[in-house]
Amino acid sequence: MAFNILLVDDSLTVRSVIAKALRLAGVDIGQIYEACHGAEALTVLEREWIDLVFADISMPVMDGEEFVDRLAASGAIEHLPVVIVSSAGSGPRIQRLKDKGVRAYVQKPFTPEQIREVVDKVMGVTSHE
Amino acid sequence: MSEDRQQALASTFLHIVEKLTFMFGEPVALDEIELSPEPWVEARMQFQGAVNGSLAVIVPESLQPEIAANILGLEAADLTTPDMLADALREMLNVVCGHVIMTLAGAEADFKLLAPQHQVVPRERLADLLEDADSMGFTLDDEPLLLHLELERG
Repeated sequence: MAFNILLVDDSLTVRSVIAKALRLAGVDIGQIYEACHGAEALTVLEREWIDLVFADISMPVMDGEEFVDRLAASGAIEHLPVVIVSSAGSGPRIQRLKDKGVRAYVQKPFTPEQIREVVDKVMGVTSHE
Repeated sequence: MSEDRQQALASTFLHIVEKLTFMFGEPVALDEIELSPEPWVEARMQFQGAVNGSLAVIVPESLQPEIAANILGLEAADLTTPDMLADALREMLNVVCGHVIMTLAGAEADFKLLAPQHQVVPRERLADLLEDADSMGFTLDDEPLLLHLELERG
């Protein structure tokens, strides 16, 4: 099954690196969508079917924590896996985000293998085609 | 900055940069850093929480394409806009900063990183940075690089 994936980060560099890691890791990708911050990501989610979200924490306009709060408030986070990708992943903050429904955390810098592992885990992929 | 802290920060910096950019570096004394005549640029960001302050990575402009190309897995010639180069340097700083704070304050420390800024460093400021006890010198793929950590006392 091909996944539609939304990448939420204010850095084009990070969005490019995650997209490349997903491809290198052999993740079955349908479409990749991009957003520069949480508010833009919410607009994409209203418009498109998304299977999986990778989001940063520190972003302008709406940061990752507020984005997760919005998804939790609407109940969307229960059926939309959100993975936080950040270098600002202090233990207490990651726990707060997981308590709100975030499925996994990837600390930068990461490898394609780590991205693959987290996709398999949160999407319930059990075998590689 | 104490010698122990400098060694810990240098080790963290080099480890993270190597993982992120596949570029290799080593510490060098500040008085061995040669200020090439080209413009130097810095990415600087503030952090708040368990520790408060700012961290900057300062490099000669010509090193930016190599850093960006290595992070993105592209050829330097494919990086056509200054924005791409600045964004990559900001991202390198962003990743380094998170790990530096955890080195300083521990993995359980709660902190927030503010948006990194990118700018050209005035020549006189550059000379001051080489005299600053909060600066550390490195080479990255044989090119000079400065790391500048300012911590709020308290």
